[in-house]
Amino acid sequence: MTTLDERVAQNGLVSRLIVRPEIGALIGALAVFVFFSIVADKFLTAAGVATWLDDSATLGIMAVAVALLMIGGEFDLSAGVMTASTALVTAILAVEVGLNVWLALLLSLVFALGVGALNGWIVVRTGLPSFIVTLGTFLALQGLNLGITRLVTNSVQVSGMRSTDGYESAGFVFASTFQVGDTPFQISIVWWLGFAALAAWVLVRTKFGNWTFAVGGSAPSARAVGVPVRRTKILLFMTTAAAGWLVGSINILRFTTVQANQGIGLEFQFIIAAVIGGCLLTGGFGSAIGAAIGALIFGMARQGIVFANWNSDWFMLFLGIMLLGAVLVNNTFRRRAERVRR
Amino acid sequence: MSTETEPGDVLLTMSGIVKTFPGVRALDGVDLEVRAGEVHCLLGQNGAGKSTLIKVLAGAHQPDGGEIVWQGKPTTLGSPVAALRIGVATMYQELDLVDGLSVAENIFLGHEPNAFGFTRRGHMRAEARKLMRRLGHPEIPVGREVGLLSAAGQQLVSMARALAHDARLIVMDEPTAALAADEVDNLFRVVADLTAEGVAIVYISHRLEEIRRIGNRVTVIKDGRTVASNLDSHTPTAELVNLMSGRNVETVFPHREANTTDSSHEVLVVEGLTRASEFADVSFTVNAGEIVGIAGLVGAGRSEVLETVYGARKADSGTVVVDGKRLRPGNVPAAVAAGVGLAPEERKSQALLLDQSVANNVVLASLPEYSRAGFSDIRRELRDARATLERLDLRPADPRREVRTLSGGNQQKAVVARWLVRDCKVLLLDEPTRGVDVGARAELYRLIHELAASGVAVLLVSSEVPEVLGLSDRVLVMREGRLLTEAPASELTEAAVLDMVMEGSEVMA
Ligand SMILES: Nc1ncnc2c1ncn2[C@@H]1O[C@H](COP(=O)(O)OP(=O)(O)OP(=O)(O)O)[C@@H](O)[C@H]1O
Ligand SMILES: [Mg+2]
Repeated sequence: MTTLDERVAQNGLVSRLIVRPEIGALIGALAVFVFFSIVADKFLTAAGVATWLDDSATLGIMAVAVALLMIGGEFDLSAGVMTASTALVTAILAVEVGLNVWLALLLSLVFALGVGALNGWIVVRTGLPSFIVTLGTFLALQGLNLGITRLVTNSVQVSGMRSTDGYESAGFVFASTFQVGDTPFQISIVWWLGFAALAAWVLVRTKFGNWTFAVGGSAPSARAVGVPVRRTKILLFMTTAAAGWLVGSINILRFTTVQANQGIGLEFQFIIAAVIGGCLLTGGFGSAIGAAIGALIFGMARQGIVFANWNSDWFMLFLGIMLLGAVLVNNTFRRRAERVRR
Repeated sequence: MSTETEPGDVLLTMSGIVKTFPGVRALDGVDLEVRAGEVHCLLGQNGAGKSTLIKVLAGAHQPDGGEIVWQGKPTTLGSPVAALRIGVATMYQELDLVDGLSVAENIFLGHEPNAFGFTRRGHMRAEARKLMRRLGHPEIPVGREVGLLSAAGQQLVSMARALAHDARLIVMDEPTAALAADEVDNLFRVVADLTAEGVAIVYISHRLEEIRRIGNRVTVIKDGRTVASNLDSHTPTAELVNLMSGRNVETVFPHREANTTDSSHEVLVVEGLTRASEFADVSFTVNAGEIVGIAGLVGAGRSEVLETVYGARKADSGTVVVDGKRLRPGNVPAAVAAGVGLAPEERKSQALLLDQSVANNVVLASLPEYSRAGFSDIRRELRDARATLERLDLRPADPRREVRTLSGGNQQKAVVARWLVRDCKVLLLDEPTRGVDVGARAELYRLIHELAASGVAVLLVSSEVPEVLGLSDRVLVMREGRLLTEAPASELTEAAVLDMVMEGSEVMA
């Protein structure tokens, strides 16, 4: 009997590492870190670290959720505006209706899950590309945000969270800080790391994680062996929406004010972070940790440029180079791995 | 798992199964009866409805009519899960694995061993390893991504998955199409073990010799109807073929006309071609009008050589010369412009635009010509394409149909037809008859001969040794990336070639 893959069987640790989807992001993050540590003094101070971690955190929570969805083969363009919608729902219910903040948060979560389920349901029922379906939701939510806010408050923002019932306890959970040495770090960083770890674990250790890869990699194959394809996709859309709610809640409790036009345009940042982190646009491949690292690159670069006293105009150039660089690195290593085939 | 059935008892009866797709009646009253512990073969031309029938059995298609009786009880199979639950596991014709998942994850996809929703990975991997050992391939790492395995490796994973379901009935739709001779033996050993345990196998293949080796009974399907059931698997070939096609078909290799080879005109000269870890120092020539066959096992580097000549892979060293002109390595357009054509092995990933019409797919290769010569040319191509497709009996014969809706063998015909209608100087054919039925195969052989007779240099790779010997003028034997032997086909026997590809002995016939 011939052995089919002798060369493959002998593969060592290194070659296993370089086919990991995160590899490009990891190299990129190291490069960005070293670069700004050298060019900007403040970058490596405790306060500096707290700043760029904070910037990465809320983006990172969304990037991880969007990565799961992309591995499952779908997009959510309504994810950015969802962070504003949920914040608005919470704020209107707490400030204008006078509900306890916790109750407002709960209802806001129900709203988010409803929108996520609707997104997913339309996609699996109609077979339309999620790009189009969620573009519709995105526009609809954007309109609702402005329309309802203006209707209720006669302005385009809701503020006054500070004086609501339950603000203190909710604020402690979603928007407090913790001390490391004498530097305050945002609690959102903990949420980010926790969520990324949870997502990574779900992806590789649970049935649901397997199914996510399967429905994104090849939905017909998955269906043929009994994977509940529709349910998996709908749950992924709901996860993304729930992550939007988490970020919305963190924002509203921290800043106590929310603008009705907030969040627009962020959806692409989430997708970019996920792609830097190794997600393929075609689905079936990617990593939650990679997406978290992708968000870290964002945060480090955006704040690093500020610390280095450069014009923030340069940020987009930087981002573009990072995106292409990470994708190229991923691609090169994958090719090399595939060449071993046969 | 219920064991109410003894070996020999009727396990499954399908009767009068009807299934229509928009514009096609794929099944028009098919009957099938399968007993426990038997290998029941399904025979039929390309597009006869074999795959459709087994998809109905697998719960993937819902029939429009007919009855399914499982272990004496009328049953509806509303979904793949329902079929798996009663004990029917299916290996589909088109591999249906998820590339991004590991071997173990693919094997257990949809029925992951779990405790409270958490996969028991250790357990899963151990079980997967056991299955791979049972299949004779303990060296395949179960943690490896399936997309990184070879075609044969993927086939094994698909087989392991069917075994993992502990099924009473396993359907195999052309499982050997991508396998080399020794892998086929391996598969048959597993099949024998399974039937000894009382598992029934429904086996689909276009290779009659396989059916004779492992089959017990045969059901023949033609145009969506059962035309003969429960035949002995040793029914003479002529009779089987006659039942399948409704006419008498020549199944032997067509007689090669007096050698038309012009040995003074070397069209393709390959020298010292090398690609690290794939093949090394491969040199050969193909003359105008000559058919050269490459024999060897899957994984010997044959496809890689073809793809490198074509420029789809870049050679590390060595030269490819076509008609006196050296080709730029790794440059497909240059090769095509020099008159090289390749009908690749993996039609889905490498050759076909599945959502496009048959016509578009066939004319695809001619596009450069078309842009030079204008519209009238494409019409001629289409006419030629239609004629070729008719000769190959592509069904349905409508060139406007999407390739996706064609049966597996008919898709293969579309890939090959593409190059047959084009004026190539060098034609590279990688497993051209994979999944093609007996009748169409004979026609394909004749077409290849005609091309050679018109002066085309043909380089052919096939895993079926008789095909290589019967079709070629000269045979190259490859093993583990090296050329072992080169000899006129008339001086070689099947046994000698098999010996060389497996053991590497350089005995000459
Ligand atoms: N999804 C589909 N949509 C439309 N037509 C289809 C579809 N699937 C199969 N058909 C048609 O049904 C007929 C039977 O196809 P099927 O795949 O069952 O053939 P087969 O016997 O398996 O052939 P082969 O030996 O080539 O694999 C063909 O005419 C095919 O074009
Ligand atoms: Mg078929």
